[in-house]
Amino acid sequence: MLEIKPIFNALCRSKVGAVLLLIQIAITTAIVSNAAFIIQDRISYLNQETGYPEQDIFKFNVMTFGTDINLSQQFELDESMLRKMPGVVDAALSSSIPLSGGGSASSFNLKPAPQEGLSVRTAYFFIDDHAINTYGVNLIAGRNFTEDEVLVTNEITQKRTNVTIVTKALLDELYPDGDGLGKIVYFGDLPLKIIGVIGKMKGPWLKDSKPDNLAFIPYIKAASYAQVAVRTKPGQRAAVMKEIENAMLENYSKRVINNIKGLDELKNEYTAQDRLMMRMLIVLITILVLITALGIFGLTLFNISKRTKQIGTRRALGARKSAIVSYFLVENALICSLGLALGVVTAILLGKMLMQYFSVAALPPSYIAVTAIAVFLMSLLAVLAPAKRAANISPSIATRTI
Amino acid sequence: MFIHYLDLSWRSFKRTPLVSFLMVLAIAIGIGITMTSLSVYHMMSADPIPEKSSQLYSVQLQTMDDGSTWWTEDNMPLQLTYQDAENLLNAPTSEKKVAMMRTGFSVYLDSDKIKPFIGNARMTTPDFFSMFNLSFLYGGAWSKEQEDSAAPVVVITQEINDKLFAGKNSVGELIYLDDTSYQVVGVINHWPLNIKYYDLNNGAFNQVEELFMPFSLIKAKELVSWGNSNGWKHENTPTFADKLQSEQVWIQFWAELNTLEQKQAYQNYLLAYMQEQQKRGRFNRKELEYKLRDVNQWMQYNNVVTEDNKILVGLSFMFLGVCLANILGLLLAKFLRRAPEVGVRRALGASKRQIFLQHLVEVAMLGFIGGMLGIVLAQLGLMGVGQSYDYYENLATMDLTMLLSAPLIAITTCILAGLYPAWLVCKTNPAIYLKSQ
Repeated sequence: MLEIKPIFNALCRSKVGAVLLLIQIAITTAIVSNAAFIIQDRISYLNQETGYPEQDIFKFNVMTFGTDINLSQQFELDESMLRKMPGVVDAALSSSIPLSGGGSASSFNLKPAPQEGLSVRTAYFFIDDHAINTYGVNLIAGRNFTEDEVLVTNEITQKRTNVTIVTKALLDELYPDGDGLGKIVYFGDLPLKIIGVIGKMKGPWLKDSKPDNLAFIPYIKAASYAQVAVRTKPGQRAAVMKEIENAMLENYSKRVINNIKGLDELKNEYTAQDRLMMRMLIVLITILVLITALGIFGLTLFNISKRTKQIGTRRALGARKSAIVSYFLVENALICSLGLALGVVTAILLGKMLMQYFSVAALPPSYIAVTAIAVFLMSLLAVLAPAKRAANISPSIATRTI
Repeated sequence: MFIHYLDLSWRSFKRTPLVSFLMVLAIAIGIGITMTSLSVYHMMSADPIPEKSSQLYSVQLQTMDDGSTWWTEDNMPLQLTYQDAENLLNAPTSEKKVAMMRTGFSVYLDSDKIKPFIGNARMTTPDFFSMFNLSFLYGGAWSKEQEDSAAPVVVITQEINDKLFAGKNSVGELIYLDDTSYQVVGVINHWPLNIKYYDLNNGAFNQVEELFMPFSLIKAKELVSWGNSNGWKHENTPTFADKLQSEQVWIQFWAELNTLEQKQAYQNYLLAYMQEQQKRGRFNRKELEYKLRDVNQWMQYNNVVTEDNKILVGLSFMFLGVCLANILGLLLAKFLRRAPEVGVRRALGASKRQIFLQHLVEVAMLGFIGGMLGIVLAQLGLMGVGQSYDYYENLATMDLTMLLSAPLIAITTCILAGLYPAWLVCKTNPAIYLKSQ
């Protein structure tokens, strides 16, 4: 009924055009399925949950050059001023800022250094008891630091910090049995008791090998260079950010306030390359599909003009319009299927190559399948309009010139 | 003849405007996409200092004990410890060498006219300027004596000089950095650097520092690094002196080795140095290891060109392949339709060669127009790239090489696509078409 045999025979007589189309479809399938996979990968990376109300948090840097003050005292004053500012929920001096791409990491060990034992990489912040409230994260077990547990110093003293609050990811890695709360871990040779657990918060690097491992250590060492994190009430961040420089300089003027940035802005900067890659790939596959569709469209038009007489003759001999349309559709479907078969193989090979040379994960077959179906539908759509035009060729054409 | 062929091509272009336009569009889009990704790749991998990139070597020493690992591909730390840097710097060897580190200060003047701001500083030795080919607008580098005595001197960039001193010769003026005043000894000319190859620790496309100061100030002023400090074992370093003596790595080190002999001599020296240090209980390993990488090797080793860029370039060329197949199809259609005309020309005495050439010229013309349009599209693409990523602003441009290669690639692609159709059409047997006229 679909007359595949004669169509196939006709195709064999003008191979080149068909082969070209076949190659186009194959490469298109290979590129689109692989690119779609990378795009999907980036989208889920960019939209991942960070655990912070990013829209309400911002940070700024303080660089003090005046030497006529005690830095620790000054920061106490600054913090209480900030916390009282209208619109501010809480503020804290933080040794690093989440999602910013800059920070410190070390390892937490089950045994004190230099003894060997389980050792887990983690990022850490030196921050005070306002950490949880400032970053708006959820304490799911245990308790917050008390004010007494926070060590504030500018000097080297014998007094040492002895507690920590960690993320659930870090706790589970240190104590897979889930009994870590209250245990002692070692930061170098410094013992720290785990007193609280945070459900989810990301560290400074989203691309770290352990992006979810983060620990708060209650220790404030005031230095001439410091970073402060501030959480505001929803919708009031922009206003507070605008006032912050003046407010800080009014408190003490011999310093520079800069890098006033929202957490979402920091995240955007950190992920800029990934967003760029995603956008470029989206542009690339969109245009690619359009070009391939255009190619099919052009080639069908050309075939039709070449076969005008043949079509007219068929119509004169009694072929219905639908038979003409279906002829072109079937022809296209034949080429397309062959192209897709080749395309699936190419896609798998390309995926393997990307996996081998770059850190791209294995291409799931579902991406190839979906792409193949989409390309097939697209090719049918591209053929439909020219085929309908062909169907409208009048039978008289066939009889007019012989 | 060539002009005549061009004229014929233009007529043919006008005769089938739609198909011709589609072809030009296909090639333009293909070139536009390819050139966008290729330009970024090209700018990222371009040699930042071609005249001496093979003479400047980044020095790495394997300081870790056996059994410890680093994340680099060859397990070598990227930077040096302070003590190694100082020892190598003071070594009695003749080559130029430089140790350095990035830090920063609040910058202000003794007046209220300029609001204090943060300035990035490079703590380095005086050879830095001649090694990396920096030129001075005013003054010059600090002297060896000033370096040795940790003198409070500073070289500033033209931009800072414009900002603080309105572009006037500021040599001898004082500027305040944190709590100390420093004397300006030199102003360097604008240093346009796309890739900060001399210190890739905090991103390859970061800005060059604004202040350059003696390396010896690190010790004198207890300056901490604004770049990376990494350790591989647990060390207690409560004081700055402890940190200077520790095994933490945080100093970049480069040597200028102009000849093979010089390089060999330096390698020998490094080995001897490590052996001597072994006697003091450091470098606890069976095999002593060092690495000298020149600028281009260093950039490659640090993955300046990201994976994403390589993938994009690869996919773009595949994309160009699709465009090529597309054009081939359209050309085939266009040329074969013209077979009767070709038949007449052949009958009138045109040789196959001439027909072939005529069609190639036509194809090349399409390629040229497509290439030009492609450059316009690539510029749009690069504008988008530049806007989406601050660091890319300088990189997202086409230099002369790229501008010239765009039409070249376009024409080559088109001629490749045109070979088969042109060959097919020149084989046309004139008799058939003459009969049916």
